[in-house]
Amino acid sequence: MASNKAKRTRGELALQVIIFSLGFFYAFVYYVRVSEPVDLQALSDQLFAYLTAMLTVAFGVGFFNLTRVHLNNVKLKRPVWKFSVILLAAMYGMTVLSMISSPFAVDPQGFAIPRALIAFIDPIWEFLYYKVLVSINATIFSLLAFYIASAAYRAFKLRTFESTLLLAAGILVLIGQTPIADLVWPGFGAIRDWILSYPNTAGQRGVYLGAALSILLFTARRMIRYSWGR
Amino acid sequence: MNRSQIASDPRTIYALLILVITLPILTHAVLPVPVSDTTRAVYDFIEILPENSLVVLSFDYSTATVPELHPQAIVVTQHLFTRPVKILFVAQWADGPALADAVLDVVDHGDRKYGADYATLGYIPNTATLIGMTANIAKFFPVDTRGNPIDTLPIIKEFNAGRLASLVVCFAASEDTLSAYLQYWQAQFNVPIAAGATAVAAPGYMPFYNSHQLVGILVSMRAAAEYEVLINRVGLSGATSAMVSQSTSHVFIVAMVVLGNAAYIARRRKAGAA
Repeated sequence: MASNKAKRTRGELALQVIIFSLGFFYAFVYYVRVSEPVDLQALSDQLFAYLTAMLTVAFGVGFFNLTRVHLNNVKLKRPVWKFSVILLAAMYGMTVLSMISSPFAVDPQGFAIPRALIAFIDPIWEFLYYKVLVSINATIFSLLAFYIASAAYRAFKLRTFESTLLLAAGILVLIGQTPIADLVWPGFGAIRDWILSYPNTAGQRGVYLGAALSILLFTARRMIRYSWGR
Repeated sequence: MNRSQIASDPRTIYALLILVITLPILTHAVLPVPVSDTTRAVYDFIEILPENSLVVLSFDYSTATVPELHPQAIVVTQHLFTRPVKILFVAQWADGPALADAVLDVVDHGDRKYGADYATLGYIPNTATLIGMTANIAKFFPVDTRGNPIDTLPIIKEFNAGRLASLVVCFAASEDTLSAYLQYWQAQFNVPIAAGATAVAAPGYMPFYNSHQLVGILVSMRAAAEYEVLINRVGLSGATSAMVSQSTSHVFIVAMVVLGNAAYIARRRKAGAA
């Protein structure tokens, strides 16, 4: 048991050295340009090419995992198995069609895949993508308008001083965003710009700086000592 | 259900909102759209780009945000096709390449030739690729979306590194894609960046505009309507005709807030009196 623990620790140490070295290398290359005797920028670019390949493989793992999970749903007839069938059919159907005719086509010029097949699939893919997927997704996103209208009616109340400030700022930005407001009074646009440029920018900068410092500290901690979950 | 319950039923509000949105569309009413500073900044920057500059258009949005960002992409692309610049179309979201093709289907190409003046490179799968592109585009895109070997394209022979771009316009549905350009293209190589933003995301981009890290921001569908006026192509993207609907729906939401608060204050007074 003790030897296992020692072995694991050595493995962890090796990984820790790799994590620190790569993290330090990329941070160094980001800030300092070194071209002699070794072009570190070129080396970094080459490593990015490998990283891209690794991340693409990771995407493939996700695709495989999704298939496995939903195939099990279907095999075991779990309560949502019908949705799993639809998901698998849509995922594999669109993948195959996209590989034949789309901006992701594997052979768009028809060297291996017959051009007649590409020409046949093309309108089907375009219909599924532009007429079905775009419409469905845009509709779902547009439902936000209905929730906002309902929520505004119910939740935007003058309860406290802070909520009154929030309400006033929200209404002024909302009104200022509409062309009709400029017809009524051009000052609405100026007020919207002022709110976005000053109070909003100040608040956003605070959030960004806080998040950036947290990321920096987290990264430094991860580089120095990775917490192995025990 | 009494009158008060009907009035506060969300379905009543939804039904009214449908009317408020659809009626202006059916009447084809049009409103004059004043141009905001953030939109004009993008237009002005493109106008003064030197001849033969490289512009990268990044389609970083999905089909869900097509109503807000697609009209922006159409008008900016149309503007660029009237300028003597080279254009590369890329996408950090998987939906982007198909949406870029949809934009190219509706804009007037003039005498621009594919491969020499513009090219569609396709999907940038991760930030590592975006960073690598600053040094060598061909290494990460061996072929374009039409299957042409990338190093045979004259535009790539001329500009084989993202750092040579004179402008990136990032139509960003989420902040992370814009941040990647700001961190790795703008901060490291001083590549100017402009953003196309949804109305929800735009306030988050304002600090970068105020610090001049962004040359301009296109805010929601309204910016597309403003841009149509600037390039004198009103109606090109459909944004101008949607402005009346946008105005009436916003006014409706404000009216709902006022009504809700009036009822709330009246209820509070009644409770206080009792």
